[in-house]
Amino acid sequence: MSPETLDNTSDRGRPRSPLAAFFFERLGLDDLWALAAKKRVPIHGTTAFYFLGGMALFLFAIQVVTGTLLSLYYKPSPDQAFESVRAIMTEVDFGWLIRSIHTWSANLLIGILFLHVLTTYVMRAYRRPREFTWMTGVGLLVLFLAFGFSGYLLPWNQLAFFATRVGTGIVGVVPLVGRDLLLLARSGENVTGDTLARFYALHVVILPLATLAVLVVHLFLVQKHGISVPERAAKKCGGADRVPSMPFFPHFLLRDMVGWYVALGLLAALAALFPWELGEKAAPFGSAPEGIRPEWYFLFMFQSLKKLPAHVFGIPWLEGETVGGLFFGLCGLIVFLVPLLDLRAAQGRSRPILNVLAAIAVIGFVVMTAWGLLE
Amino acid sequence: MAAMLAAIFYPVVRFLWPRATTSSGASEVAAPYTVAQLKADAEGKWPPPFNFDGKPCLLIRTPEGEIKAFNAICTHLDCTVEYRPERHDIFCNCHNGVYDLNGRNVSGPPPRPLEVYKVTLRGKPGQEEILVSRNA
Repeated sequence: MSPETLDNTSDRGRPRSPLAAFFFERLGLDDLWALAAKKRVPIHGTTAFYFLGGMALFLFAIQVVTGTLLSLYYKPSPDQAFESVRAIMTEVDFGWLIRSIHTWSANLLIGILFLHVLTTYVMRAYRRPREFTWMTGVGLLVLFLAFGFSGYLLPWNQLAFFATRVGTGIVGVVPLVGRDLLLLARSGENVTGDTLARFYALHVVILPLATLAVLVVHLFLVQKHGISVPERAAKKCGGADRVPSMPFFPHFLLRDMVGWYVALGLLAALAALFPWELGEKAAPFGSAPEGIRPEWYFLFMFQSLKKLPAHVFGIPWLEGETVGGLFFGLCGLIVFLVPLLDLRAAQGRSRPILNVLAAIAVIGFVVMTAWGLLE
Repeated sequence: MAAMLAAIFYPVVRFLWPRATTSSGASEVAAPYTVAQLKADAEGKWPPPFNFDGKPCLLIRTPEGEIKAFNAICTHLDCTVEYRPERHDIFCNCHNGVYDLNGRNVSGPPPRPLEVYKVTLRGKPGQEEILVSRNA
């Protein structure tokens, strides 16, 4: 590439040393530079919401690093899984820290993703042409929930064992194919060593590959369409293109990095002050102990299933867990399809029905989670 | 084209399908406790369920002294139930399902009763071995 071509790209802030020029020319970094320079972040009342995506990405990176480290000692078999995690926590130097950061980071990541989806909904950022950005984002949330669910079983403790029995049991309520799905998920009738191997493969191979694939599409779409400006901010400034903005690189990225630095400190503090417990080893034929509950992000579902009657409206064939399982499946589908259901978005009109449903969903989630925690 | 896809994916799907069950298929098993051992320990814990052909089997002793056996898998979402002798019921800790001492679902989310097994006692009175079998 000639120097003339280099000059055609945006030069702002680009390193000018001969060494940098050497790499820029050979690696084609000018294109990336131009792409980065193009991306701008709107500045308005809710600019802080834009930090959530980057934060999720940072926590995912933490998961990849700590998960890879844990895999060096973890052994996915019923005879050794619990013992290997115990060895990580008690014998391997800083093993307790790595495992605790992995678990805390997973929990923070899910929390950040919930907020990311919610704030994206509030800003109506899924409007044309960003429908697929939303859908891939919801897909990523589902993938990370699957990460959480599959990872929960790996220590092979009592809590994990019964949470997996219940979780895969919910899959079994799907009409017609539920039984087959349950057999596929558990690799048999019961939760066994085969289930553990299956969940391990899911957790460390299948889900990471699927997540990377969807993430690449999601990030490409964010880059392609730019960052959405909320309607209110656009109206206030007399048009979306008149809303003040800052360059993503390096201005917003540096702010992002401050957030990551704080998150890293928070993770270290949480891991040190509240190391994640291991509990008791799973006893596949023993009774479920008291206090069985899933991670907080599945608690709303768990609590709802607990409170649903055996037969809804007293109808013999309408079993509570079937109704509950299908209801939550439908809710997930509605969230996924929000851009297509918000028919008024194109005209810039309000969306009262969706907003009422969203408010009910958020209140329901908070109330059922709190109820589950307190009971 | 369809044949090629079938040739590629059929073995994969079959591979993912659970392998044939490794259960013994036994229709009868001797419990790991005798009648005399079937009581709560010093901490009030009842003897846990044991493996009966790949499924947990719960033994209880009613206040009248009758020994009963159940498939301990809760009919709600597959947790394993426990006997609460002080409350005279069978309880699932996962979703608070309650069964009576005949295995009937009496409150909470379980939609069906527990599967009941047949109990046969063998040996000297007080030291009898407990045999559990499926009701034919």
